[in-house]
Amino acid sequence: MLHYVELSKKAAPGAPDLSRASEVGIDLEKAGRSAYYLQVDQKIFQYLSRIPGVEVTTIEDFIGNSPDLAAEYVWKLLDPSRDRFTAAAALYGSGGFVIKVKKGARVDDPVQTCLFMSTPGLQAPHNVVIMEEGAELTLYTGCTIMPEPVGLHVGVSEFYVGRGAKLRYVMIHSWNRATHVRPRTAVQVDEGGEYISYYMSFGRVKSIQTFPSIHLARGARTYSASVVLGLEDSQIDVGTSVTLSEDSSAQVVSRVLARDSSKVWTRAIISGGRGRGHIDCRGMMIHDTAQIYTVPELRALGKETQLTHEASIGKLSEDEIAYLMSKGFSREEAEGILIRGFMNVELEWLPQRIRRYVEGVLNIMAGKAL
Amino acid sequence: MGTATEVLRVENLSIDVYGKVVVRGVDIALSEGEILYVVGPNGSGKTTLLRGLAGYPGYREVSGRVIFSGEDITGTSADYRVSKGIALAHQIPPKISGLRTRDLLAYVARKFGSGDVEEVVKLLDIGYLMDREFGRGFSGGELKRVELATLLLLRPKLALIDEPDSGVDVDSVMLVAEGIRRLSELSPYRTVVVVSHTAFVARYVRPSKVCVMSSGTLLRCGGPELLDEVMRYGFKRVA
Repeated sequence: MLHYVELSKKAAPGAPDLSRASEVGIDLEKAGRSAYYLQVDQKIFQYLSRIPGVEVTTIEDFIGNSPDLAAEYVWKLLDPSRDRFTAAAALYGSGGFVIKVKKGARVDDPVQTCLFMSTPGLQAPHNVVIMEEGAELTLYTGCTIMPEPVGLHVGVSEFYVGRGAKLRYVMIHSWNRATHVRPRTAVQVDEGGEYISYYMSFGRVKSIQTFPSIHLARGARTYSASVVLGLEDSQIDVGTSVTLSEDSSAQVVSRVLARDSSKVWTRAIISGGRGRGHIDCRGMMIHDTAQIYTVPELRALGKETQLTHEASIGKLSEDEIAYLMSKGFSREEAEGILIRGFMNVELEWLPQRIRRYVEGVLNIMAGKAL
Repeated sequence: MGTATEVLRVENLSIDVYGKVVVRGVDIALSEGEILYVVGPNGSGKTTLLRGLAGYPGYREVSGRVIFSGEDITGTSADYRVSKGIALAHQIPPKISGLRTRDLLAYVARKFGSGDVEEVVKLLDIGYLMDREFGRGFSGGELKRVELATLLLLRPKLALIDEPDSGVDVDSVMLVAEGIRRLSELSPYRTVVVVSHTAFVARYVRPSKVCVMSSGTLLRCGGPELLDEVMRYGFKRVA
């Protein structure tokens, strides 16, 4: 089912200013030519797909129009009783996208989704992505809020990556200093499938806590990267948990910058009786008043498992700054280059256009970190 | 024939490194097109001299003057000196986590708008290092070649090159020497200072002046024949 509302670049009186979506890399004009989902608060929904093989709808329409399918996919990877935020989303949530990519469909254009908060209160969308066998998709999600509202965002996401399918998922967060954010995400990757995930948070935020879980079937693989900037008095607790199977592999990567009086935790668990996994957590302290906690955890549940991790926390190196100054950069430029370099994660899995977006977001983050 | 333009004049220079005077009373005069080769044993102050001339943070001129292209640049910062045309290739640059070699060279080329990255990469055969983190797991020769690449992009009027042959195999020395030759062609004033603890690379760069350094001072200066003496009799006897 297609639902299309012409998007206006300028907000009508009383309507939310959607231009803020561009801050998190959402290009509604381009998205309107391919596929997108936009949700404002708990009530305004715009969505469409012009891409063959890709269906975009709301969770309510999905449950109403395809109840049997919904029974297979909704609340199957996550349990509403998991914690009070998930329960609140189950009880009071509204909206959320359902994206289904048909068997073998390989989509070049990214599907963009934007979860936007313009008024105080709760936003709790429930998102489901179903990648059928051999399908390929890049999903780009930007979440943001107007500067003033006090909000709680609980995005519930259940992603199903079918046999041999590939889902590349980019999520960019930019909240305000009064928002609490509790995404709840679970991913099932079937045999030979691939799930590549990038999470970036660079705005002021009161608190974030999220710990997505990824279950890999035989021969599946995942690369999950988080790049987080702690600002002011933010408390941010992010991580990823991966469960391995035979011949599967996982890399969990985090880059954290902490300034002001922010506190940032990065957690990672890789667990399994077979398969390979690596955790790479790096933190950079910008100010003496900030705090970073890094908690990598490896759980070998059988002798056929190979698990490694590296973790480090430090500050900008005076040697490296001096070196760059000897190449003609001012101290400030040198610090900017080092911070931008520190934030680099492997982006080669992303299509060129999305890679440029993500690099742009990383550049903005580097600027804000100084 | 007109008189060659003086590029660098160093007068009675002493350099302090984090509270300790390492280089004392150095005098140098270099004109356009000259290559000065400073040779001396390990710990003689060669690196400190170059870093001091480059205005490297932590290396302070405590006495004397450095005149570059007629301007007294004593006490100025490293980035200011690069903007004036002085650039340093380090003996061992630091590893920089996350920064790819490609990005470093692109930043340098973008900032100074000079030099062709692809041409430099080809000349020094460093294409395979472009997507690696700068310095991470590089061999000695790879470090030297990437360092020289930054210099070729900066196209300085005065190039300062620290130990281009230390910890390097012969093939890399030849590539580095080729890079230095190219540098002297590209440089507006074609003026280079190379320091080394051996005379090895001098075969390729053909210096016009040679100085022997020991215990933080330039003990003797002369023409290229001084290098033959050093190689024959050693530093102590020559000094």
